[in-house]
Amino acid sequence: MSAATGPVTDKIDPFSKKQSVKKPKQKRSQASSRYKAKGGTELVPLPQLKDAPPAEQHELFIKKLQQCSVVFDFMDSVSDLKGKEIKRASLNELVDYITAGRGVLTEQVYPEVVKMIASNIFRTLPPSENTEFDPEEDDPTLEASWPHLQIVYEFFLRFLESPDFQPSIAKKYIDQKFVLQLLELFDSEDPRERDFLKTVLHRIYGKFLGLRAFIRKQINHIFLKFIYETEHFNGVGELLEILGSIINGFALPLKAEHKQFLIKVLIPLHKAKSLSLYHAQLAYCVVQFLEKDATLTEPVVRGLLKFWPKTCSQKEVMFLGEIEEILDVIEPSQFVRIQEPLFKQISKCVSSPHFQVAERALYFWNNEYVMSLIEENSNVIMPIMFPNLYRISKEHWNQTIVALVYNVLKTFMEMNSKLFDELTANYKAERQKERKKEKEREELWKKLDGLEINATVNNKEVKSVPPTSTNTPVAGASPAVGTRYAPYSPTAHRLMAK
Amino acid sequence: MAASDSDDSLYPIAVLIDELRNEDVQLRLNSIKKLSTIALALGVERTRSELIPFLTDTIYDEDEVLLALAEQLGNFTPLVGGQEHVHCLLPPLESLATVEETVVRDKAVESLRKIAGDHSSADLEAHFVPLVKRLAQGDWFTSRTSACGLFSVPYPRVSSTVKAELRTNFRNLCGDDTPMVRRAAAGKMGEFAKVLELEYLKSDLIPLWTNLASDEQVQNDSVRLLAVEACVSIASILPPEDLETLVMPTLKNAAEDKSWRVRYMVADKFTELQMAVGPEITKKELVPAFQGLLKDCEAEVRAAAANKVKEFCENLPEDIREATIMTSILPCVKWSFSLQDLVSDANQHVKSALASVIMGLSPILGKDNTVEHLLPLFLLMLKDECAEVRLNIISNLDCVNQVIGIHQLSQSLLPAIVELAEDTKWRVRLAIIEYMPLLAGQLGVEFFDEKLNSLCMSWLVDHVYAIREAATNNLKKLVEKFGAEWAQSTILPKVVGMAQDPNYLHRMTTLFCINVLADVCGNETTMKVLLPVVVKLAADAVPNVRFNVAKTIQKIGSQFDATTINNQCKPCLEKLQSDQDYDVKYYAQEAMSVLCDAA
Repeated sequence: MSAATGPVTDKIDPFSKKQSVKKPKQKRSQASSRYKAKGGTELVPLPQLKDAPPAEQHELFIKKLQQCSVVFDFMDSVSDLKGKEIKRASLNELVDYITAGRGVLTEQVYPEVVKMIASNIFRTLPPSENTEFDPEEDDPTLEASWPHLQIVYEFFLRFLESPDFQPSIAKKYIDQKFVLQLLELFDSEDPRERDFLKTVLHRIYGKFLGLRAFIRKQINHIFLKFIYETEHFNGVGELLEILGSIINGFALPLKAEHKQFLIKVLIPLHKAKSLSLYHAQLAYCVVQFLEKDATLTEPVVRGLLKFWPKTCSQKEVMFLGEIEEILDVIEPSQFVRIQEPLFKQISKCVSSPHFQVAERALYFWNNEYVMSLIEENSNVIMPIMFPNLYRISKEHWNQTIVALVYNVLKTFMEMNSKLFDELTANYKAERQKERKKEKEREELWKKLDGLEINATVNNKEVKSVPPTSTNTPVAGASPAVGTRYAPYSPTAHRLMAK
Repeated sequence: MAASDSDDSLYPIAVLIDELRNEDVQLRLNSIKKLSTIALALGVERTRSELIPFLTDTIYDEDEVLLALAEQLGNFTPLVGGQEHVHCLLPPLESLATVEETVVRDKAVESLRKIAGDHSSADLEAHFVPLVKRLAQGDWFTSRTSACGLFSVPYPRVSSTVKAELRTNFRNLCGDDTPMVRRAAAGKMGEFAKVLELEYLKSDLIPLWTNLASDEQVQNDSVRLLAVEACVSIASILPPEDLETLVMPTLKNAAEDKSWRVRYMVADKFTELQMAVGPEITKKELVPAFQGLLKDCEAEVRAAAANKVKEFCENLPEDIREATIMTSILPCVKWSFSLQDLVSDANQHVKSALASVIMGLSPILGKDNTVEHLLPLFLLMLKDECAEVRLNIISNLDCVNQVIGIHQLSQSLLPAIVELAEDTKWRVRLAIIEYMPLLAGQLGVEFFDEKLNSLCMSWLVDHVYAIREAATNNLKKLVEKFGAEWAQSTILPKVVGMAQDPNYLHRMTTLFCINVLADVCGNETTMKVLLPVVVKLAADAVPNVRFNVAKTIQKIGSQFDATTINNQCKPCLEKLQSDQDYDVKYYAQEAMSVLCDAA
């Protein structure tokens, strides 16, 4: 091997060839984790329901339900093809039978129906193929047994929606335990399954009054686990969608339980990393609550401000969108209560170096209702907004933002020209005052630090206190002290040398 | 305290509290982080009477600030006047233990556990235990969750009546309506078991544990999962005669739980469980359970079990070890490895887990068994399509090597090595390089020259720096094994040749090689063969090469006599010192001063 010769120069280019390492993406499907699924039951085709004499149909119906309770291995796509086909045909027949037939849902049928559904859909969800699964980037893993599962769900829906369906009988079988297992399935990676589940759960919530409180409580638990423990649950969006319509139906005045749900569950849901996946549904729920009861505005807005994103600009844009939705329905009396903290935040957003954030915040001024609220309270809002707007109008890097800021300043001028002139005149003085205050703070802390050093030297008793003062310099310390130059690195600028 | 007496008026609490209230979160956070300084300024009395109440009242803030506060308060005992006053820290920490955010709550609990140790027994009963009870009966799940972590610390130090109350409270938490609380209780069960009297452990805690471990609600395999963890502590405390009736049924159920997460947990904790239950039960119960896990239908579980194979086998009681491995474990391993999982490649993890531990069985089983039973398996793994599997076998070869010698393996080994040496993943290549010196030692110089030498040289021009670096170090180790003469005839011509390569990175590799080879090649060779190459490269067009020349001279200069230094090294460095490039000048200067110091 002649290492030193030959056209190796190209090979060594550090920027080529990286791409080739990555595996081509392939669409995957996945089997459910069914523990020791029993095999060996061979399906024997039964006669068609429509061919059977009416007297025998009922019995045949039950037989078919039992037949469809057998579960097949879909990871092995060639095994037992005959059986799979028999089951598929039976399932389709069952769907037709309960859709078209009247009086077929007798009391004896209920346990068999629920058993068939349960044995097909309830299973421990398999471990995720992709541990760093990013729902926005990656394709979801699809359920392998979907050809059967889809018809089972279809059947379930027809069953619940049948005019013959009697919740009073069904509640013996569709009980709390059943619902719990159903909720568990919302974590399925397959969006098709979650979509069915959404409709199914909605129907159950509608028809089984006795289960409503229980369902709400369990959804609470799922959300809380998602927020505080795992940050992972695929079905948050679907559950929120159901809740949206549930909230819509809440009676007034709202029960304490519902208010607690809003403040302690829905608001913290804004924290999660994957907010973008369910933000639209979440914001809808929040606004639904506010339309029901305007007095909730203050805790909601304060809650959002508490969880305001610190670094994620994408989420910040979503928050701003939600705030505007809230402002659209806000009552002026509520607006007054939150305007100060809210506009302090908006003022920060307007001066964000990320232009999408700044732009989204500045768009508020295009909203007529919001404008009217600002105008009514201009004496409070203008002093909060003015310093940042004034500064940004001079130094933001993005010309669109600068133009928008000019417009906002113009509206302020038209709104209250006297206040505007005052603010402009005082701008410099205010900045100086701030700087002076800053200096005083620094002095104070310097003294305190000196004190601590003395105390640690003199006083043995407090020795155990860790000297935290050295960890973090006070923010905003004068640059002369704070700035240190990194040692010169001779290789840093060499990367491109050739 | 000295500080507080000196000048109180200087630091009125209002000013300090203003700092803690500053509008800017970052400033507030900074102030909280220096809370101990503020407390120091106020002195113990005013800290107790003014600062702590203020903190208790204003606990509504950013979670980040609260987290810092919770942490600070854990170290506050001396600042409030030591043991007799420490209980005044409880109210703010109690509030912090009820907030929503988990990290804040956890920190508050941690601090509470810390200061519990600073309480006298009387104060524990008067102040601390009531706090635990309040939290345990809180309305919202957060306070009850926090309470779970506060039982084991005070329990050993309180009277038997209070102990009974604590047990009752813990029992209630285990049966809580909210799964989050049950999870927290299950998680803390192990540590609570350790401080509990044996009779109560049996009468109170075990039934609770059994209950949690069979938490029927499907959603809460997470509860059952934590119960497996507690199992390790509980099993290690109980006397062996109780294990069988109290623990084993639950454990067996867990190993066959319908949720793969629970089975995974069992597999993951398997050797700890094995140690906890002792040899007899291992023989009777754990071996079959382990077989089941190795054959689990979920690859995750199989992989976790596979990782434990070696340790599990090592810990088997000696009398049955060999027989058990041969009749029970090895067949499962073979089954698991050859399992064809058509669509998912999760199986790959199982295989590589097996490959990484299976070699460890060789010393346990001895030469004959290894040759007869393990060797075919190794060879199979060496031919596996997955690079990681092959790599794991090769990097653990020394275990087998000690038992049967490498010649048995070398023939089948070689193709695998050559292939891995060109793997697209540089970490795989790196691992192979690191294994090279060992192989070289085993195979001898002839075999090496014939088969592996060219491979070693090709790594020098790899496009990943880490590989080139490892390849140079590898050369050094090879020369240490085969001697300077071998180096001169086999390696140096190629290294020297690379100095003329058009690619500057290759020319630098020459220098890097010289850096490490100079030592082992001896002064004579270094001076005659290597130094001229270095000096020549001082005129290179690329500054990076030039300053590396300076570095190399600095490194190898100590090997030369004064004449060589004065006649060859110094003039070269002098030239570099007047280089137009800043860095070249810098390193030349440095090298010069080192050489002068030495002389």
